[in-house]
Amino acid sequence: MAEYVHPDVLVSTQWVADNLNDPNIKIVESDEDVLLYEVGHVENAIKIDWQTDLQDQLVRDYIDKEKFEQLLSDKGISNDSTIVFYGDKSNWWACYAMWVFKLFGHEKCLIMNGGRQKWIEEERPITKDVPDFPKTDYKVSGTNEAIRAFRDDVVGHIGSGNPLIDVRSPKEFSGELLHMEAYPQEGALRGGHIPGAANVPWATAANEDGTFKSADELKAIYMDDKGLKEGDDIIAYCRIGERSSHTWFVLTYLLGFEGVRNYDGSWTEWGNLVKAPIEK
Amino acid sequence: MLVIASLFHFNFMAKIQEIIDAFQIADYQETLAMLLDYSESLPALPEKYVEQRDQGFNRVPECETPVFVWIEVNDDKVHIDADVPEESPTVRGFVSLLVDSFNGATPQEVLSAPQNLVHDLGLDQKLGTRRMFGLSAVYNRIKSSVKEVSGLS
Repeated sequence: MAEYVHPDVLVSTQWVADNLNDPNIKIVESDEDVLLYEVGHVENAIKIDWQTDLQDQLVRDYIDKEKFEQLLSDKGISNDSTIVFYGDKSNWWACYAMWVFKLFGHEKCLIMNGGRQKWIEEERPITKDVPDFPKTDYKVSGTNEAIRAFRDDVVGHIGSGNPLIDVRSPKEFSGELLHMEAYPQEGALRGGHIPGAANVPWATAANEDGTFKSADELKAIYMDDKGLKEGDDIIAYCRIGERSSHTWFVLTYLLGFEGVRNYDGSWTEWGNLVKAPIEK
Repeated sequence: MLVIASLFHFNFMAKIQEIIDAFQIADYQETLAMLLDYSESLPALPEKYVEQRDQGFNRVPECETPVFVWIEVNDDKVHIDADVPEESPTVRGFVSLLVDSFNGATPQEVLSAPQNLVHDLGLDQKLGTRRMFGLSAVYNRIKSSVKEVSGLS
């Protein structure tokens, strides 16, 4: 059985349980639900919220370098901290937070395989105590825009025939969902997908227990079925760039693709962009 | 009768306004704490609805979180039963707030509740606008169901 290309970025719940008091390791919980951390979390876990902490509240962008430095300094994370991310929904939001941390160049980022769900199902202890780590002086040394795609990159991608992976549900991909009264939250005026995109819903890469599928299974999905091959320049997208960060993680670390970008503008940008080509 | 009805109406609106005021002055942490309290106090789903829930009936389709709502109107009083998973405490807290505020009110009173309650509570500013679509949808669904069940046009 094949191994993940970078197995070192995944740690088990047991590993986290064994290392949660290590001062060089910082555990970060990032969930879709803003209150879930307050219900109870892994001891010493720090809450980072994808929306209130990481996104600028005025510009549709992430916080700037200075605010990121302030955030991590306040949370007690230093430049050489090893960060273990975990969260709800098969680590979907944990991958999103990790992707943002990578944008700001934080090197040592790991994911707890199975996330919050596995930790709870294994009946491991949770606490409501919020850790109070000493403040640090975090400095961003350089950002890493190579993992982020903007709309012009996507336009170029369509022309060159490079692979695009749409990780939304099949009905969103086909454009059917936007016409259903039941889902007004999509926030785009046109339904469908970016021309040439292949549809691989993000959760296809996850097992029932929230862990990632095996390397062989992932290869079968992305390489055998969708034809991704070594050296490919890949852009993944979804609705707002969160689900696709899960796929970015899978393609980059578990399958070892070196040129994977997340288009965080995603469908809420593309589906509203005047004159942008759409396929149904 | 008219006087009594409007008095009740006033009390209902005063209660809603009290909740809005409490949320308005609350900071981020206090807002989370209030929602958590509501989340923890949502009454358990009555046994008679469990099977329906398990079969997927009465789900609010607009919300990504599985929210289930049953609405009855007896003697001009609204009664709401709801179920939201504990893994979604924010949505659960908001639904619990609605159940607590609306139960016992008349259908007219429920319909007179602010149109944009999520905004009035300040949740969109504190929790981020992208999270609010589901909550607004649940709110609108409850109001429109009350309207439908009570036969108001």
